[in-house]
Amino acid sequence: MLDLLTYDFMQRSLLAAAMVGGLCSLIGVFVVLRGLAFVGAGTAHAAFAGVAFAYLMGWPPLLLAIVFGLVTVWITGWIEEKGTMKLDVSIGILYTTTMALAILFIGLMKAYNAEVYGYLFGNVLSVTPEELQVIGGLTILVVGSLGLFSKELYFIAFDQEMAEASGVPARKMFFLLLTLVALTVVVSLKTVGAILVFAMVLIPASTAYQLTHSLSTLTWYSLMIGIGCSVTGVLLSALWDIPSGPAIVLLSTLLFFISIVLSPKRLRQPLAAN
Amino acid sequence: MSTLQQPIIRFDHASFGFPGIVALKDLTLTIGAGEFVGVIGPNGSGKTTLCKAVLGLMAPLEGHLHIFDCACDELRCHHRAKIGYLPQKGVVDRNFPVTVLETVMMGRYGAMGLFKRPGTADRRIAIEALTHVGMERHRDTALGHLSGGQQQRVFIARALAQQPEVLLLDEPTTGLDITTQYNVIELVEHLHQELGLTVLLVTHDINMIRTRVDRLILLKTRLYAAGPPADVLRPEILREVYGKDLVITEKDLIIVEDYHHH
Repeated sequence: MLDLLTYDFMQRSLLAAAMVGGLCSLIGVFVVLRGLAFVGAGTAHAAFAGVAFAYLMGWPPLLLAIVFGLVTVWITGWIEEKGTMKLDVSIGILYTTTMALAILFIGLMKAYNAEVYGYLFGNVLSVTPEELQVIGGLTILVVGSLGLFSKELYFIAFDQEMAEASGVPARKMFFLLLTLVALTVVVSLKTVGAILVFAMVLIPASTAYQLTHSLSTLTWYSLMIGIGCSVTGVLLSALWDIPSGPAIVLLSTLLFFISIVLSPKRLRQPLAAN
Repeated sequence: MSTLQQPIIRFDHASFGFPGIVALKDLTLTIGAGEFVGVIGPNGSGKTTLCKAVLGLMAPLEGHLHIFDCACDELRCHHRAKIGYLPQKGVVDRNFPVTVLETVMMGRYGAMGLFKRPGTADRRIAIEALTHVGMERHRDTALGHLSGGQQQRVFIARALAQQPEVLLLDEPTTGLDITTQYNVIELVEHLHQELGLTVLLVTHDINMIRTRVDRLILLKTRLYAAGPPADVLRPEILREVYGKDLVITEKDLIIVEDYHHH
């Protein structure tokens, strides 16, 4: 076990997992509270379509993943704001459209491209030093933004109309949140893949949600669960030679079900806030 | 009734709505600092539109609206933090992870502005607001564990935490039992007197507020009547506005049957 930690690839993987796990679990708090779970799932598939298009055209995959993810998430936000269509319907249409585009782009490629499938399923153990730098940079950007605007983001998650009426720039904050969700998804694509990334966003925050009635405690619990499960999942993946993405997600899911059983919210007596 | 002091809200032939739909038309009205004003009218009469206009969430389609010397002809108003707003009671998710104090602290966020963290002064203001509504000892309780009336008190405290000049309450008693309704209205009256706040109270409950407000504003997509309650609550005016939904009892109780308020 300790021998494993001496390898460069293992150190990079653990660092990437800790950053992605922490980032996903932090943004997950706002996603869960604001009810944007399905938005994130749709964004992950849009970002994957961007990756497929990039490989088809020979362009940088990360850049196209960001463009596809942002465009999708902004269209979703615009539709929600207009209120002309139910959010789940609009996301469902965008989700399937972008997935269809991804399949189309892969079909147009002359030969089988394993790297594209790497973004679909993810492999944190193959993270390169350059990718680690990109993950680190985007993590600083997203966590920094969350830190700067956390009070406004909490307010719009609780009651966007009230936030707007109180003088908080609620519309701008909503679009900022959507943008941060898209960036988080893109950062995480290489490590856990488009299919599982949203489990990493949803599950730690949902687990923490079972355990507390305080916003600040929820955030800390989610962060600890996200980092803990990601790092442990990578170690188990290396020890038992199993895929890292599923190891992280299944470990998080196990913790989620344990939290449901132990949740103080399910006890009859009201408890203190933390 | 208080004499009309410094005017802080002025509608000047203002109409509000959406393209093709006018929800409130040709409203000319002035509200002075320190007034306690009740806003009544049947469903769809424009009461919530009036609230949105005062909050700067809706620009006039025609005419003008001035609030605190701010011309709200476009939606870039900066006066919102001076207006403590209690929206119509929505359903609060019982499990939403927020404590009473965290909820009230949110009332500080608009006034604080971006990039600033709540400090000890903000916390003190939030606790004072909780004290004003009698909820200070519940500060660490989960919001979802409170009764409907207690939650309304917390939301009023959130509005007070803005240190507003105007308190705007949209149907604050909806969904509460009769005793709690009286408690909430008494609390609003007490805050008006103690803090000198200008209060705009939108309600269906005419009997509950008729003896407490300085002025009543009766809407039916336009300003139908405005003045002291005795002048506005005349049977002929009310019958014109409410039609067959209205019953006036021998004891002068006004019952709008649509809302089952007695």
